[in-house]
Amino acid sequence: MNWALIAGGSRGIGYHIAEALAGRKYNIALVARDGKDLLTAKHAIEKAFPVQVEISSCDLSLPDAAAQIAGWCREKAFNLKVLCNAAGRGGSKDYLSLPVAGLRNMVRLNIESAVELTLILLPLLEENAPAYVLNVGSIAGFAPIPTKNIYSASKAALLFFSYSLRYQLRDRKISVSCLCPGPVFTKPSIEAETLKQLGWLGRQMAVDPAQVGETAVRNMLKGKMLIVPGMLSTGISCILRLLPAGLLARIFYQSGKQ
Amino acid sequence: MKKLIILFLIGVKGMTAFAQENPEHLMPGGDTKPYALVAGGSKGIGYGIAEALAKRGYNLILIARHLDTLQKAKRILESSYPVHVEILTYDLSFQESAGEIADWCIKRNIPLKVLCNVAGFGGSRDYLSLSLDSLRYMVRLNVESCMALSLTLLPLLEKNAPSYILNVASMAGFAPIPIKNLYSATKSAVVFFSYSLAYQLQEKNISVSCLCPGPVFTKPEIVKDTKEKLGWFGMKMALSPAKVGEVAVKKTFERKMIIVPGTLAKISSVVIRILPRRWVVNLYGRAGDKSRNK
Repeated sequence: MNWALIAGGSRGIGYHIAEALAGRKYNIALVARDGKDLLTAKHAIEKAFPVQVEISSCDLSLPDAAAQIAGWCREKAFNLKVLCNAAGRGGSKDYLSLPVAGLRNMVRLNIESAVELTLILLPLLEENAPAYVLNVGSIAGFAPIPTKNIYSASKAALLFFSYSLRYQLRDRKISVSCLCPGPVFTKPSIEAETLKQLGWLGRQMAVDPAQVGETAVRNMLKGKMLIVPGMLSTGISCILRLLPAGLLARIFYQSGKQ
Repeated sequence: MKKLIILFLIGVKGMTAFAQENPEHLMPGGDTKPYALVAGGSKGIGYGIAEALAKRGYNLILIARHLDTLQKAKRILESSYPVHVEILTYDLSFQESAGEIADWCIKRNIPLKVLCNVAGFGGSRDYLSLSLDSLRYMVRLNVESCMALSLTLLPLLEKNAPSYILNVASMAGFAPIPIKNLYSATKSAVVFFSYSLAYQLQEKNISVSCLCPGPVFTKPEIVKDTKEKLGWFGMKMALSPAKVGEVAVKKTFERKMIIVPGTLAKISSVVIRILPRRWVVNLYGRAGDKSRNK
């Protein structure tokens, strides 16, 4: 059977992507920091779907994480067909009140871990082609959001990386997709923050995490590059991509101040 | 004898403390000129920016990895302009660098008015053939160091407001360039970071600018690379580091947010930003393939 590796797959969007893949008969390899969350996820998926789930506890922001995961994949001899980079950090603490260590952690988790893991697992994906890479970006990667400075910048980098990688791998039967969801209420804190910043619109834009996972996997397997779940988010993302970045930064700054 | 030693030690301690409290002692002649810090200022665009700042009477702190290029830059700048140049050797991709540089400046109470984040790593080798170490180095130098240094030096810039931050990105930050995959991605992060920071610091009277040049001939490899990938058009668009530095500094003081030197580069950058990203990626991709087949 084919395997799918989800980095950051024990909770949130990553977990729901894992579920959507398990529903399509992929065996699941989960990587995350917290061992307890991993076990819970493993049990839940194995109970609901007739698939095998392997777990590995690993802090993806550490420099040897990618090599460690690649070693694990070789050891377990996974037929890796899908790689999903879903690990990421955000939060309401913006750049100015973030300590330097927190800033580095965010850049390392959101950008470095994805580019490293993809590169090191590429030979394995190529062996099992046609294969898929799914990077989890955000709608915040379409326009600079001053109150989410570093988060928004790191997601823009991930989006650029996905575009370029897709072109680079087009002859190798590896399709690259980038999931750019609007607000997804995976934690109560995200719900509170979204409602505070975007109000009614935020509530309307929000998509259920299970639906985000399902939409992401369906479109990834279709070979789509940009995946924006939800009608309203899709519409808004089109507008964001049309308008100049400077204007958007101003609008987001004004709305964040209120 | 023991007492004498203790007295001597107290004396030394007192003197070092005095030196720290009175930074003028370390600066020649009670100089009151404002300072500009240029991270990555020993060569290329960074040196061009440093020279443009020296011309405007700014004392300089240049930071780079190699002492010999720094010393050379210091010698040339100090002999051509009436300014004082401090040099610090740091690898800006290292975790501790930003904190240590800020400590150095704060301890000396440097009247810092300008911060330029120029240090960056690119090259014609694309993502697929890079080592993991190079990937990490590129992200840490191009993205992390710029964000970290701006954050650690913010208190000093705020104290000396109105002040200026100039981040050096690239036209590659406007749209993804497949053959320069990660370089282009890191530069897009710098562009986004600069936009957001500009608004975050608006009320603190710190202006943020982002320099996004097209090809700049800082090294012979870049001349060759540009000729191969962009052909005649690239050669027309290219500028010298001195010209780029001059335009960058001029526009930074005019508080311009996005700075694209050169008319042709400016027009191209507008077109790149207007066209759908998919098209631009394909255009860039094909240009890259062509150069590889040559």
